[in-house]
Amino acid sequence: MPTVTEVEPMIHVDHLGKQYGERTVFSDISFDVNPGEIVSIVGPSGCGKTTLLRCVVGLMKPSHGTVLVSGTPVVDPPEGVAMVFQHFGLFPWKTIAANVAYGLTAKGVSMKDAAPRVHELIKLVGLEGFEKSYPYQLSGGMQQRAGLARALAVEPGVLVMDEPFAALDAQTRDILQLELLRIWGTRSAAMMFVTHSIDEAVLMGDRIVILRGRPSSIFDIVDVGIPHPRGRETVDTDRFRTVRDYVWRAVMHDEADDTPLPTDADAVRIEPQSHRNMNGHDHG
Amino acid sequence: MTTNTKTATRTRIARVSSTPQASTTPSRRKKITLWASAGLGILVVWQVGFTLFAPAYIATPIGAILAIPTVFADPIFFPDVASTLGAVFEGLLIAIVAGTIIGLAMGRLPDVNRVLGMYVGAFYAIPLIAIVPLFTVWFGYTPQARLAMIVLEAVLPIIYNVAEGSRIVSATYLDVTRIHRVAWWRVWTGVVLPNALPYVLAGLDLAIGRALIGAVVAEFVTAIDGLGTYILFNVHSFHQNEAVIALIVVVIFALVIRALINLAVRRGLPWYQPVKEA
Repeated sequence: MPTVTEVEPMIHVDHLGKQYGERTVFSDISFDVNPGEIVSIVGPSGCGKTTLLRCVVGLMKPSHGTVLVSGTPVVDPPEGVAMVFQHFGLFPWKTIAANVAYGLTAKGVSMKDAAPRVHELIKLVGLEGFEKSYPYQLSGGMQQRAGLARALAVEPGVLVMDEPFAALDAQTRDILQLELLRIWGTRSAAMMFVTHSIDEAVLMGDRIVILRGRPSSIFDIVDVGIPHPRGRETVDTDRFRTVRDYVWRAVMHDEADDTPLPTDADAVRIEPQSHRNMNGHDHG
Repeated sequence: MTTNTKTATRTRIARVSSTPQASTTPSRRKKITLWASAGLGILVVWQVGFTLFAPAYIATPIGAILAIPTVFADPIFFPDVASTLGAVFEGLLIAIVAGTIIGLAMGRLPDVNRVLGMYVGAFYAIPLIAIVPLFTVWFGYTPQARLAMIVLEAVLPIIYNVAEGSRIVSATYLDVTRIHRVAWWRVWTGVVLPNALPYVLAGLDLAIGRALIGAVVAEFVTAIDGLGTYILFNVHSFHQNEAVIALIVVVIFALVIRALINLAVRRGLPWYQPVKEA
């Protein structure tokens, strides 16, 4: 697949590892995220998904390995990276419009100059009429819409999402997943999407990085292989079910359980060449 | 879908703002009645008890009310009020600015906290009245000694509270600033300080009372013109009722400043109210 190898990845994670003292959280993690691609990160609770994400965007220093964003090694959070947080991280003393504009005003852009883009984004995420509201006046789902608008306001080349819908109720989560995919269609950044929900990982991701073990490492990277645009009906397709069942078993698989996973692995491969061959990585 | 969410949230907002008023009106009336009758009871006990058992020059509520015209006609009373309250106001402003800066630095920079924390704690613990004689040596029997006393009294609770409030900034807020590569001073002014605001206001509440103590005590010792001196002079010359009126002016001043701060918070910081109620 020469076309794939020629694309320079937006995010290049190379043998990344993180230790807290004696305890190794994860080790030897390598994968790429290409422009316009969504890569979901799943794994059992406590496997270090969020830690991995924080290392990738430079909020945390990894113990081993390197991360390249747009070809540049990450030390501190680089330019052109935006993040959406599990608990929204909206400033309660700012209005929704001022929160959305934060990435711009914090760099010295005046609220007036930021206004056109802020207005466009508020419209895009469906928050029209709430520009002057404060976060406490909005439901959790609407606050996260604002969180997404704030991230998009800086026109990021890389967007990372740390369990963005985990704090929301099930219905709001369903709505926002599809909303995010719709909004995604209008942008072309590389996205890393950390979630503990396997359904969400399959619905959102073009590829899924499965973390497992203690310390965790990459168990497999799956090509979801469901074309965009995706919608509610996506979850009713055979392909969705196949991938979900495979990821589910991979994540839930107990080390003591001797269910042979390789058989399942074959089921999710779209064609003989897997992503590993495509990107030239070699994972255990 | 979007329209529905909007309508739902608007209704929610309307309900949130209307509920407290509807439910507090009866309980507030009850509170005011209790409060007023308790006050009246104390005044009655004071009046009756002191009329029966105390010498005539001891202040009583009716005596104090009758003294109001005399006090207001006294040519030195209003200049004294202006002198003390002006100094308290000036001292509070200095204390707010200085206390906020020192508190921010202590809250955000562990080294500054290590250097200053102990001294702030020590000053907070000692009775500052003991320092007034020293101040009179350094500043003389002057309004500057009083101002220094007011600032020292008022600045400590502000430093304490701002330091605490800026220490406990949510990690997510700081992540937001780091991801957006925000300059440190913008983080301090734009995130740490607003986040500490509830603490600043709590500190200010304490500072007002302490500033008044500082002013009156400094006047007692230095005898410069002001309400403290007015009180002391009248008490010493058997005019206790007049002294009580001056005392009430101090109390009213403290209450008015607090009410003004509350009003400013409600008007200027609409987001802060629900946080306080929660």
